[in-house]
Amino acid sequence: MTVGQREEADPVALPAGSTPGPPRRRRVWGDGRLSALATAVLLVALGGCWEIGSAAKLWSPEVLPAPSALLPALQALAGDPRFWADAGRTGGEVLGSIGFGGVAGLLVGVSFWKAPLVGRVFEPYLVSFYAVPLVLFYPVMIVLVGLGTPSVIILASVMAAIPMALNTWVGLAAVPPVYLRLARSISCTRWQQLFRVALPSAAPYVLAGLRLAVVYALIGCIAMEFTTAQAGLGYRIRYLYDSFETAPMYAYILVVLVVSIILTALLAVLERVVMAGRNRS
Amino acid sequence: MTAAHPATGALAVRVPDRRHYALLGSVGLAVLGLVIWQIAAGLVFVIPAPLATVRTLLANLMTGGYLVDAQVTFQNSLVAFLLGALIGGAAGLVLGLSRWARILFEPLLIALNGLPKIVLYPVLLPIFHLSGAKVVMGLLFALFPILINVAIGVRELPPVYRTLARSVNASRWQTLVHIILPAIRRPLLTGVRLSVSLAVVGVVLSEFFATRRGLGRVVLQAYSGGDYRNMMATILLLVSVSFVLSLLLWRLERRVR
Amino acid sequence: MTDRGIQIDELTVRFPTPDGEQVTAVDRVTQRIPESGFVSIVGPSGCGKSTLLGVIAGLQPVTTGDVVVDGRVVTGPDRRVGLVFQEDSTLPWKTVTDNVRFAMQIAGVDRAEQRRRAREAIDLVGLTGFEEAYPSMLSGGMRQRVALARSLALEPSVLLMDEPFAALDQQTRLLLGAEILRIWRRTHQTVLFVTHDLSEALLLSQQVWVMSYRPGRIIDVVDVDLPEDRDASVVSTPEFNQLQNRVWESLRAESLRGFRQESAVGA
Repeated sequence: MTVGQREEADPVALPAGSTPGPPRRRRVWGDGRLSALATAVLLVALGGCWEIGSAAKLWSPEVLPAPSALLPALQALAGDPRFWADAGRTGGEVLGSIGFGGVAGLLVGVSFWKAPLVGRVFEPYLVSFYAVPLVLFYPVMIVLVGLGTPSVIILASVMAAIPMALNTWVGLAAVPPVYLRLARSISCTRWQQLFRVALPSAAPYVLAGLRLAVVYALIGCIAMEFTTAQAGLGYRIRYLYDSFETAPMYAYILVVLVVSIILTALLAVLERVVMAGRNRS
Repeated sequence: MTAAHPATGALAVRVPDRRHYALLGSVGLAVLGLVIWQIAAGLVFVIPAPLATVRTLLANLMTGGYLVDAQVTFQNSLVAFLLGALIGGAAGLVLGLSRWARILFEPLLIALNGLPKIVLYPVLLPIFHLSGAKVVMGLLFALFPILINVAIGVRELPPVYRTLARSVNASRWQTLVHIILPAIRRPLLTGVRLSVSLAVVGVVLSEFFATRRGLGRVVLQAYSGGDYRNMMATILLLVSVSFVLSLLLWRLERRVR
Repeated sequence: MTDRGIQIDELTVRFPTPDGEQVTAVDRVTQRIPESGFVSIVGPSGCGKSTLLGVIAGLQPVTTGDVVVDGRVVTGPDRRVGLVFQEDSTLPWKTVTDNVRFAMQIAGVDRAEQRRRAREAIDLVGLTGFEEAYPSMLSGGMRQRVALARSLALEPSVLLMDEPFAALDQQTRLLLGAEILRIWRRTHQTVLFVTHDLSEALLLSQQVWVMSYRPGRIIDVVDVDLPEDRDASVVSTPEFNQLQNRVWESLRAESLRGFRQESAVGA
């Protein structure tokens, strides 16, 4: 992806279900609903196999407890203040990194659009450190800043900012030039041009960037807690593994899975709301 | 890109010059980074200076044990990447070509993509044991970028390509090799670039957690032992390798049109 | 009559090309358009038609000379000059009404006034009923009408149109051309219409300027003395054919020159 030459965005970052170009034909009834149904069926089927397999002792309950054993573990979590402390800690880190990273990424993306040479200077680094490899710097970060929330937030924010910046930049570069000519012809100020024409036009890309930012913020925080931390969901999973408490550990893993699903779903809703009307055929 | 744009009077940028400036700027940025590192090392005792780090790294690289660790990490990363790319590519093709596969699996995959896969490591350990689990972890990390990019790439192929394939009576295999793969080579290359760095990260993160040998273990051991020179040297090695690979693949990606 | 309308005086626009050469897009053009006049400019692709329009719209800086619109020298974009672009300029995230109101919002027009004028403009271009539609639901022709409505809502005295129908099919072009005429007869604006379509130019305007390839000069001015209330059937009349031949004669050599130049450069 070379923004400098106005090529397409990194395909992973394209807005969900859309292409630059004529709007897609509206999906036949319930491609979305069929999907939801199919997923539900699949999950139930998987859950069933899981339960049966556990009951048939195809594997040791130490390795993989049955779903029926996990339910009480999950319930226990809900009443456990330690769980809520961990969840709060991770939640705070994730939300903080999304906030800082998202805003920083947006600002950086806009700056690169205004000063493309600067963007091209930074581009190789942003592209090579696209999100996850930054986690490798975590040990350095904790040496510098210490073991705790700030070091996680700093690194996870940078991890989130990078896809946000790149996507914002690509989105702005993809604004049809006629929109900017229009803005000039009606005497828009620079700010008006940016906020009322350029950014709305780039919104699909910015949202895709936000989606990636959220994903990488979560991955970063959990991965760092997992490596070494004092508290948080990732830390707790590791702790429980070391103390051979399999059922609670799996419960925690499930919680992380659910959190990531909820975040993805929230973003999908946000995307639907912001993009209303644009892609209807 | 060479004509002036009449309506706005804006002059197009002369591409050749600017590219050189950008390259210079990027290199300058790296130098700046080194300078900042040097300054930080001066201010904060615990951080070793760049030169000291490089020296430590070179010394390490001449040590047998260290080389074994490096080999373990990079070999496992390579295997993880290859397997992940293969599986991801195949799955991506299926998803891109089959509407039913998409209906069945798309929500699950989107959900799994957002999951921090490292939390599955404790699940993998008892099944695949120490050596296997981290390869599987790297595999899982490397799987998704290729899967998603191939799926999107295939899905967005102009339908006329398939018509073309049918009209020349191409077999499935021929269609794949001669039409589909070349048409998606850009998204595929992007996926490969991301997968390569993610495979390394997956393996290293696994090594942070539990492993017998590997650079990740070296880093954490150095950290807990207060041996920051070794820690920085190893991180430098890992980051440099990941960076260079990504950069090379990115340049390749830009050339492929 | 002296102060209103458009006066172009010794206008020259030059810019440097990347290889250091100078290209003269507009070369010492001096012309007048009386108030409420309808003038078309035809010329080969790549000649300075759009540049000339850009100068009048205040978007293109001049090298020498000036343009006076309604008594005032053009120095930048002006509310009195409406501009309709060739490409689709409707903003996809806004409804038709919001699109039409956009220019007024920027101009600081009072809200109630915005709504009133928007309604009027939408009716004028024949899009009544589509106020809450999004551009993605509209055809290309309808989107151009939205763009036109947006310009009209600012109640400009001058309307500049840069090949507004170029991206549309023939039938839509004819229909929209008739719409433009109808609207013009109601609003009496001064209109400058750029097109590459000769018959469209003759059909719509009172005067046709033929522009040469670079350097861009007006090499012929054709007064279209066809009946005022003409419709599409006029294209089969001998008068129309005569005019068309005349314009084409002037244009032919230039088109060939432009064609050859572009092919040589490999643009």
